[in-house]
Amino acid sequence: MQPKPRWLKVPYDPQAVEQVAGLMRELNLNTVCREASCPNLGECYKKHTATFMILGRHCTRSCRFCNVETAEPQAVDPLEPLRLAQAVEQMGLRHVVITSVTRDDLPDGGAGHFAAAVEAVRRLNPSVSIEVLIPDFLGSAPALDQVIAARPDVFNHNVETVPSLYSRVRPEADYARSLGVLRYAKQQAPRLLVKTGIMVGLGETDSEVLALMDDCLAAGCDILTIGQYLQPSPRHVQQVEYVPLERFEQYRSAGMEKGFRYVASAPLVRSSYRAHEAYLAGGGCP
Amino acid sequence: MEQNLLMPKLSPQMETGVLISQLKQEGDPIQKGEVVFEVETDKVVSEVESPRNGVLLRYLFEEGDRVPVGQTVAVIKAED
Repeated sequence: MQPKPRWLKVPYDPQAVEQVAGLMRELNLNTVCREASCPNLGECYKKHTATFMILGRHCTRSCRFCNVETAEPQAVDPLEPLRLAQAVEQMGLRHVVITSVTRDDLPDGGAGHFAAAVEAVRRLNPSVSIEVLIPDFLGSAPALDQVIAARPDVFNHNVETVPSLYSRVRPEADYARSLGVLRYAKQQAPRLLVKTGIMVGLGETDSEVLALMDDCLAAGCDILTIGQYLQPSPRHVQQVEYVPLERFEQYRSAGMEKGFRYVASAPLVRSSYRAHEAYLAGGGCP
Repeated sequence: MEQNLLMPKLSPQMETGVLISQLKQEGDPIQKGEVVFEVETDKVVSEVESPRNGVLLRYLFEEGDRVPVGQTVAVIKAED
């Protein structure tokens, strides 16, 4: 593996981080920023943004790229949506991203709780735009219907990687199923902004990435994010390369030419990184 | 007033980080927001910024040292 490139330096302001982290502790909320050890945590917390992670800290799957802990799922807290709404209010957020662990143990996969979170945030913060970054709910249409019915502004579900790498990277998921989630959302709510994200640097080829773009566009995707996979620990799937900056730009340009409304493509881009900007650039209402 | 700059905890499982660069030296004046030192984790290089204006008094670790999360890496004398 090459040494860490220069562009992998990220800022960390201890005071700003503690402000957001402190609020999260006080309201007993989780962020995927912390749980997945996102490299952008310092930058985003400094800007007083964060991506909330609901339905506990423990995931029922163990995707090989993800640092979120796989363990006994935690009890769903019916008051979590309200506390989340309070955090949004206290942070003065204009755009909020809500994601979750995967809860295959729940009959609805947690879709009802997602819907409740969207509704609670909107009730307390009527002018905030809301983005949901959902698991696949095992492709369940009733579960997806619940989330769509809550009328989020952005419906985000990551395909994560190209199909040939699924068995290595995301063995408990299915590429066609994830595309189906995106397609279903767009069919049910044509004006909903649909978004997906992938990681590169796992051994995918350019033609595979371009084919994935075609698949996602055919499914109705509006926004695509592409970021560098960073191996969280030696236990996780091996990082194959640091993709050069030029290739990220080539992907961005190809994606825009193919017809995405917006493509964010750079090493530190993540699915909810600068999500408000992506939402506005993708055609969302300010 | 002295203020400690700690090895940050950048993920729930993180127990140590490597101090890779001392960008400010002992005795250097520091502005709030300036990067004082860099630490490396599995994922990234984190540029730890000073929370206050002041002067860097001393480092407790050398470049290359593996430092437990929460330990003081450097001490600054903050302007009041």
